[in-house]
Amino acid sequence: MTIAFKNVTKEFGNTRVVDDLSLEINDGEFVVLLGPSGCGKTTTLRMLAGLETATSGDILINNERINDVPTQHRDVAMVFQSYALYPHMTIAENIAYPLRVRKLSKRTIEERVKRVAVLLEIESLLDRKPKQLSGGERQRVALARAIVREPRAYLMDEPLSNLDARLRVQMRGELKRLQHQLATTTVYVTHDQAEAMTLAHRVAVMRKGRLQQFAMPMNV
Amino acid sequence: MKRAGKYLLLLTVLVIAVAPVYWMLTISLKTEVDQFASPPSWFFFTPTLEHFYDAFVMRSFGQYLVTSALVAVVSTASALVIGTLAAYSLARFRLPHNLDNKLSLWILSTRMFPAIVTAVPLFLMMRDLRLLNTRAALVIVYTAFNLPFVVWMMRGFFAELPRDLEEAALVDGDSRIGALWRVVLPLVAPGLAATAVFCLIVSWNEFLFALVLTQTDAAMTLPVGIAGRVTQYEIKWGVMSAAGAVAIVPILVFALAVQKYLVRGLSLGAVKG
Repeated sequence: MTIAFKNVTKEFGNTRVVDDLSLEINDGEFVVLLGPSGCGKTTTLRMLAGLETATSGDILINNERINDVPTQHRDVAMVFQSYALYPHMTIAENIAYPLRVRKLSKRTIEERVKRVAVLLEIESLLDRKPKQLSGGERQRVALARAIVREPRAYLMDEPLSNLDARLRVQMRGELKRLQHQLATTTVYVTHDQAEAMTLAHRVAVMRKGRLQQFAMPMNV
Repeated sequence: MKRAGKYLLLLTVLVIAVAPVYWMLTISLKTEVDQFASPPSWFFFTPTLEHFYDAFVMRSFGQYLVTSALVAVVSTASALVIGTLAAYSLARFRLPHNLDNKLSLWILSTRMFPAIVTAVPLFLMMRDLRLLNTRAALVIVYTAFNLPFVVWMMRGFFAELPRDLEEAALVDGDSRIGALWRVVLPLVAPGLAATAVFCLIVSWNEFLFALVLTQTDAAMTLPVGIAGRVTQYEIKWGVMSAAGAVAIVPILVFALAVQKYLVRGLSLGAVKG
């Protein structure tokens, strides 16, 4: 899936959070939005997910303007910084949620949940509740929930920032492996340069709502 | 010693709280002669069920009970459905010019004037709608009076819930209403239960509007029915107490059943858990 921002601006009241952003992302590409906090990278991601509306400009998926398409019809998966696991559901139910909403058959749901659980090595956790899991495990569940429905793109909002250093490095490697395996377009937001350098095909550096540079990691 | 003092104090409070209820229960079980015995016989009298028979078989208290229950349940359910949806949108969507906050305050303001102020207009409205002496009139009025309460309670519960969860549900492909149903409501269930209890109690006990809007047995509720036994010529203490004793039961049972949620609902947000 290709993604494009064309002269996108977002204002909250009088503050311009994203300023005339233009950016094109190729199919299967892993793009990292890098920048200090408050630079507009998360807002950019949220506009792509449909959780914020752009004040002006066009957002395109596969060359189709999606500004007015509601979140649930964009078919993108998002991993939140807080993981946003549903606390009242078991891990299996959490992962199954996107499939249940799409009214897939019980058998298909079970099979696919099983498959991603194996992929992310969380089969033993399926009957637990999010509260009983460690940070790293929750992170995996959040990833599993995103992967299970095979979306058109992954959006990740600082998914590793709540993990300790050792786990972060390990998960980084795992994300790399997953990305290689799934080859799905991914937009990844972070303020961690090391993360950006190791994961990205291309890095978009943002500052004060503006795109500063968009290049391969070695050229940033 | 300190401990004994504490228990003594608790005991005193307990007696003060329970004595009237106990008194009512004994009156409902005493013959009319025993009711007026002086000094009163607190514990030793020959119990009789004649007043219960009188109230629920000879008189229409059974019907009042049904009306009370129907009106309380239906009005609570409607207030919860409408109020929850309103509260959710007020908690989550920003309107231009700060209208959402103004709207919330306006909704709250409908609770600020004394209820009696609206009694006459409501009576006239119900008369024109030909709804006097109907249960529907009471359902409508109780729903309207419970709504602000539901909106404000639920708005608080929704506001405390992290947005991430609903946003995750939306990104996962669910609709707004689906996210509300499958993700948000299960998480505010304790708050919803607490709110429901309060609505039920208010509707169940309501007296003023039931008195103004209903005069016949067709739509009379228990409180009005009970008060109606105070007449020019006599006061039917036995019948009133018997009906009163029965009126306590549903709320008591319900409150006990949801006690766990009630405490959690009321303290929700006080402690982050």
